[in-house]
Amino acid sequence: MLKSEALTKVFGSKTAVDHVSLNLEAGHICAMLGPNGSGKTTWMKMAAGLCKPTSGQVFFDGEPIGVKSRASVAYMSTEPYFYTWMTIRDVAKYYADFFADFSMERFRDLLRRFELEENLKTKTLSSGMMAKAKIAVTMARDARIWMLDEPFNGIDLVARDQIKSAIIESAAPDKLLLMSSHLVEEMESIADRAVFLRKGQLIKEVDIETERAETGCSIADEYRRIYGAQGGEEA
Amino acid sequence: MDFNASSPIWMQVATRIKTEMVSGKLPPGAKLPGGRELALQYTINPNTAARVYQELEKEGLVEVRRGMGTYVTEAAERIARLRDGMARDAAEDYMDRMASLGYTRAEAVAWIEQEDREHAEE
Amino acid sequence: MINLIKYEFRKTWTTKLILLAITAFAEVVFLASLYLDKRDINALSIVALTILAIGGILFIGIQSILTMHQDMNTKQGYMLYMTPNSCYKILGGKVLENGLSMFVAGAFYFALGALDVTLLLGHYGELDKLMEMVKQFMSSMQMEVSLNGRMFALFALSFLCSWLCTVTTAYLADVVATCLLNGKKHNGWIGLLVFILLQTLFSWVERTAVGGRALDVQLIGSAAIAIVASAAMYAATAFLMDRHLSV
Repeated sequence: MLKSEALTKVFGSKTAVDHVSLNLEAGHICAMLGPNGSGKTTWMKMAAGLCKPTSGQVFFDGEPIGVKSRASVAYMSTEPYFYTWMTIRDVAKYYADFFADFSMERFRDLLRRFELEENLKTKTLSSGMMAKAKIAVTMARDARIWMLDEPFNGIDLVARDQIKSAIIESAAPDKLLLMSSHLVEEMESIADRAVFLRKGQLIKEVDIETERAETGCSIADEYRRIYGAQGGEEA
Repeated sequence: MDFNASSPIWMQVATRIKTEMVSGKLPPGAKLPGGRELALQYTINPNTAARVYQELEKEGLVEVRRGMGTYVTEAAERIARLRDGMARDAAEDYMDRMASLGYTRAEAVAWIEQEDREHAEE
Repeated sequence: MINLIKYEFRKTWTTKLILLAITAFAEVVFLASLYLDKRDINALSIVALTILAIGGILFIGIQSILTMHQDMNTKQGYMLYMTPNSCYKILGGKVLENGLSMFVAGAFYFALGALDVTLLLGHYGELDKLMEMVKQFMSSMQMEVSLNGRMFALFALSFLCSWLCTVTTAYLADVVATCLLNGKKHNGWIGLLVFILLQTLFSWVERTAVGGRALDVQLIGSAAIAIVASAAMYAATAFLMDRHLSV
């Protein structure tokens, strides 16, 4: 469903993403794992069409990503990106104006569960509230693919569970959910596939339950094994 | 629910459901939550939740009725057999642990009896 | 497209509102001083209104350039570029919104100016003399002009078109600096150089094409050239964004 072929991005002398070839299938919740700077964000930005690759390509349903794919891909950046003059309600209206798959009903439901007020100015939101608002507006789209970059950053335990619920509710056989995180434990139970990146390179792609059954390793164990002491505990 | 790392999550959830079946919390014929509700209840992947029911169905413990949902089997003898099996597993676990502490099987039984007497006195 | 234009307007409408409020204040001062015969204040308010008209239109353009820059260089750009719209449409929204805003502002100030001149004329009845003086002054500078409403309108049109052309050239220069030369040394200076070279080119074309003709021909000609150049700048900018923009 979402496929990258030898995808590469070079910033000056630094290679952020290095020939990553991935084929992510619908019907899965996929965790993209790696410490900060491993290329997760850059890969996602290229898959969202916000950032042009240095070389390589990304395909959505067999077609190069572009204007058309953006109508079906809901991307949530890790940084706050709302216009500062907007209230949360304005953001939702903006999404409704531009995305045919946006549901105001679902959005209001998520806001209520996150205990967020629609009339808050995005400028005044705390980091936790901002993270929730970003999730609410992104998950209120009935997209084919959701890409969430670090959805659990800056969010307390209760809200993390609420976000996980929202993610589980959206999962379906014809949809793909891709989440990046360096908080591996948070991904453990809700993801069924995991992609490990290190220094821009694809290290490994695993089926989480198969991995547990065959090696007795959780993805957190796997993570520690791959990244060792230096990469493991950056949370 | 916290999952341990060493066994698949579907297995851990299935065990939990089985425990509820043998304890009577989920009586024969009881309706189980749908796949997505199960996923939400345990905060697990929906595919994992589906796997839980597939495996329970394979073991003959649940029945999937098309368009209706998933139900605990009406066959009480299957639940009874499950209960026996789980009791045996628990007893074996206990024996294994005592063996790892250096006790003989007879000593392990004595410990259990003493524990039971003390519990009755309280 | 309507949505893109709507949100481009919403990004800038507070400052436009402030501009309108200041203009309203200056106009009230003008009217009050006119009828109270406070000539000093009246003259001051005329100067203020003139500056507001020209400065306001310049400001609308500058703000549009800044918004464009912000949309390429801050995370807020995600909001715009993650929508299912091509760069041609997104930039089109910006150019149209900005062009419309400037032309509406231009028409507004022109109408206001015409109204105020009429009021002045009616109040003092001396304005004819003043206009005569201006004409004499202009002709002494070897400028054969007849100052009338049509000529003023042409001046305004030509000014608006050239300013739109300047703004779109700035878009292109910014995109060259941001997208093509991203992270390179002196990219800002190179962008500025691109801007200056293009503007020089356009004024050379204008001089060659209509220089030395009658004033109205010059004005219409320069407006037409500016519109064509703006369209070219738009197309080139969108083309570069489509290929190279990374926000």
